[in-house]
Amino acid sequence: MGEAIVITSGKGGVGKTTSTANLGTALALQGKKVCLIDTDIGLRNLDVILGLENRIIYDLIDVLEGRCKIHQALVKDKRFEDKLFLLPAAQTADKNDVNPEQMKELIEGMKVDYDFIIIDCPAGIEQGYKNAVAGADRAIVITTPEISAVRDADRIIGLLELEENLEAPKLIINRIRPHLMEAGDALDVNEITTHLSVDLLGIVPDDERVISSSNKGEPVVMDPSNPAALGYRNIARRLLGESVPLMTMDKPKPGMFGKLKSIFSSK
Amino acid sequence: MKAQVTGFLKNIVNIKGTNKGLLIQLNDMASYTEILDELKKKVSDPALEGDAEVQIQLAKRHYSDGQLEEIKKVIHDHSKMKVISTKCDVVTVEECNRMISERQSETYVGIVRSGQVVKAKGDLVVIGDVNQNGRIEAGGNVYVLGRLKGFAHAGASGNKEAVIAASWLEATHLKIADELETMTDELDSLSEQPEMECAYLHTSGKIIIDRLQELRFLRPQISTFKGGS
Ligand SMILES: Nc1ncnc2c1ncn2[C@@H]1O[C@H](COP(=O)(O)OP(=O)(O)OP(=O)(O)O)[C@@H](O)[C@H]1O
Ligand SMILES: [Mg+2]
Repeated sequence: MGEAIVITSGKGGVGKTTSTANLGTALALQGKKVCLIDTDIGLRNLDVILGLENRIIYDLIDVLEGRCKIHQALVKDKRFEDKLFLLPAAQTADKNDVNPEQMKELIEGMKVDYDFIIIDCPAGIEQGYKNAVAGADRAIVITTPEISAVRDADRIIGLLELEENLEAPKLIINRIRPHLMEAGDALDVNEITTHLSVDLLGIVPDDERVISSSNKGEPVVMDPSNPAALGYRNIARRLLGESVPLMTMDKPKPGMFGKLKSIFSSK
Repeated sequence: MKAQVTGFLKNIVNIKGTNKGLLIQLNDMASYTEILDELKKKVSDPALEGDAEVQIQLAKRHYSDGQLEEIKKVIHDHSKMKVISTKCDVVTVEECNRMISERQSETYVGIVRSGQVVKAKGDLVVIGDVNQNGRIEAGGNVYVLGRLKGFAHAGASGNKEAVIAASWLEATHLKIADELETMTDELDSLSEQPEMECAYLHTSGKIIIDRLQELRFLRPQISTFKGGS
């Protein structure tokens, strides 16, 4: 029996979809069987980041409305044998065409076949959020080191804490730019975690390659030499129960990533 | 002491000087109209010339708000004296019940996050932070064992004596009774380290922030322990 994890944020554009794709890929690289569900109905793009766009035939709504079987709608990522699958969102439907009960039932049924089901949540706290959270066992909240993103993360954590079936949410701080933190121009990791009083699952540096690799349909995590990839790989290992030390950002020095890389890749 | 009380009872209205200004004592056995007539006569006395501040002692009798206004009006219309307070030795059942529920204390353990509201009829103790856009509201006092960074309202049912105290007071909004204070940069600069502070409503009608140590002088009635040990 696998577990279902929802990736949420409150604020849009902070990296939910990027994190879903990269964590899913990292877990598949570790040999886990993973299914990614895109619940951002009407604004799907998980398929693009994974490079699976033109292989979509059916979508989430088709499954929920009985127009096809789940296995017909799932898109297999051929790079990972039988490890990584995507259940795409509908592009032409509306988020109100889905209800939380349906999502719960669907995910419950899928947990038998997968080690991890990762649900990409749309921004906001309305219907789309409720649908995405309904079937999850735990939640990961994504924020960036900006006040507005942290405020929205706080709001979302408050809502997640009200969900009885969810474990305490964990945090990922994405798009960290060490020089800004050092200069005091961005909130630092400690400040954010203390403010939100949740466990930190990991941090991901800001890196141009995240964008270029998304455009190529090849999640950055596949390049082991990339710092953002390392961040996602560490998070995946923590999800699997390993205790991996956090990249310390307290006193960033030039070439810090190089040093960290040598620490982590020595394992 | 006894002689004074009997002396007081003989008069319907008694005016005496104290070190804090004048004290007007109203006999609680006399009829209301008697009191008003006598009061008018006494305060009109030219010997009382001066703009003294007066306190009115109502003793064991309940006056309606309208009656209190009438009493103050008589004084203000017939003299230059200024009524600064009234003191009554009785409370209505309604007031009493409100006082009891405002004295009770409720405790919330956890973080009050953005968009969340925690309310209590009496005092409210929050063990945890109150984050920005989080709101706590109490009929009585508000105590935060943590960082108060959101919106706190004390004395929500009108108690102007209520206070807000926090281990770390950096609220965006403070409200006591009907008075709202937004923490502008000016106020922020008052304390760089807003540790162990309290906010109270000053007689000027402004919310003032002071060190927590001052609370026992500012609001001694909050302490339910009398005397020393
Ligand atoms: N660590 C990173 N470094 C650089 N760019 C990043 C990083 N993470 C995300 N981005 C970029 O930020 C943009 C938004 O990311 P993404 O689409 O994953 O956010 P989202 O939270 O899913 O947005 P939405 O709320 O619209 O669904 C994308 O262009 C993505 O490439
Ligand atoms: Mg997205």
